[in-house]
Amino acid sequence: MGGLAEAVLGGTLIPMRETEDRRAAERRLVQDAQNGDLLAFERLYRENERKVFALCLRLSADAALAEELTQEVFVRAWRKLGGFRGESAFSSWLYPLTVNVALSERRSRRRRDARIVATDDPASLEPAPATPRPEAGFDLQKAMAALPPGARAVFVLHDVEGRTHDEIAAMLDLAPGTSKAQLFRARRLLREALGS
Amino acid sequence: MTCRELDERLDAWVDGELAAAAAAEAEAHLATCSLCRERERRLRQVLAHAAALPRSVTPPRDLWPGIAQRVGRERSWSRAAGGWSPWALAAAATVVVGLVAVLGSGRAPSAVRTVEIPAASPEARLAALSVVVSDPVLAAAEREYEEAANALLEALQKRQSELQPETLVTVRANLEVIDRALAEVRQAIARNPSNLELNRMLVATHRKKVDVLRRVVKLSTAL
Repeated sequence: MGGLAEAVLGGTLIPMRETEDRRAAERRLVQDAQNGDLLAFERLYRENERKVFALCLRLSADAALAEELTQEVFVRAWRKLGGFRGESAFSSWLYPLTVNVALSERRSRRRRDARIVATDDPASLEPAPATPRPEAGFDLQKAMAALPPGARAVFVLHDVEGRTHDEIAAMLDLAPGTSKAQLFRARRLLREALGS
Repeated sequence: MTCRELDERLDAWVDGELAAAAAAEAEAHLATCSLCRERERRLRQVLAHAAALPRSVTPPRDLWPGIAQRVGRERSWSRAAGGWSPWALAAAATVVVGLVAVLGSGRAPSAVRTVEIPAASPEARLAALSVVVSDPVLAAAEREYEEAANALLEALQKRQSELQPETLVTVRANLEVIDRALAEVRQAIARNPSNLELNRMLVATHRKKVDVLRRVVKLSTAL
């Protein structure tokens, strides 16, 4: 919120009460960025970096890789910005791009080296959960990192991000039934991990 | 309902997606089976953990400098390539790639080669970039380009029966992309009339449109 407000009001942080105002401010930033204004694009980055990084972190289960992926997402966003018509929020436009970058990188790395292991502990970057942990001693982030990548992707998108199977199927180029099967697999593995 | 059947339907049960009759069966089974109750409890715990995960995580370091460096490099490159913004370059690339793809799928290689015409010379590009365009000059340049584009469109319409339908669809779609780019640059100029970079971009976009039309008309003549 602060980034957009500052962008429009010259650094003076004034709350914008109306969603329409925020959208209008965002549209102006997008238009400026489309015209080559790197400062405007940085504002868009600052506004969205934490969500993009969180999604990359969960999909890759690798903190160092998530940093690279986040950078790649915004470089590609810059290249594709001309195709953004402003019909949705910038974050909505960025979302499938983030998923695509994170998963395509995963696939290309898997092709290059089948022995990939996470070198950083993604759980160390997680802020303390807003609610008390339902079961002491269980680290969901670590358990998610051990899931097969396809199952992890569907679990993250469905149970963490709240996407529907139809949305996931469209983003991952899967049949909705495959998405459901992957979720079933992920949930089963996670509840086994919870009991171990 | 057996334990196995319940296990298969556990996801739908906790997601509230079971039909009423199946839900009643699941509930009845859970009331009497401690093993399945434990499975259900664990699944609900996992989902509670997932729901508690924050949707935003601050990266451990500032990632912007790396992004700015890469974007800045690409921007410099695109300017050196003729003052095109990334999205305008993308639009032009779509046109060329689209044409080659359509032609490549159904035409002999010799037909594809006829699409290529010499681009503007580097000297001409540099000259175009160094021109300071004032409003009346810009308006005159726009008129000239529009006249040229209209003449080429007229020629293309006369020869459209000589082109494959897919080619025409691709050409039309990509001309729309360029026209949208033109409209956006005009809007940007209206907000910031003194921005020379925008003026150059407008001229370059017009030039690209004429180039594309010339290529297509030349192609229809060569077939």
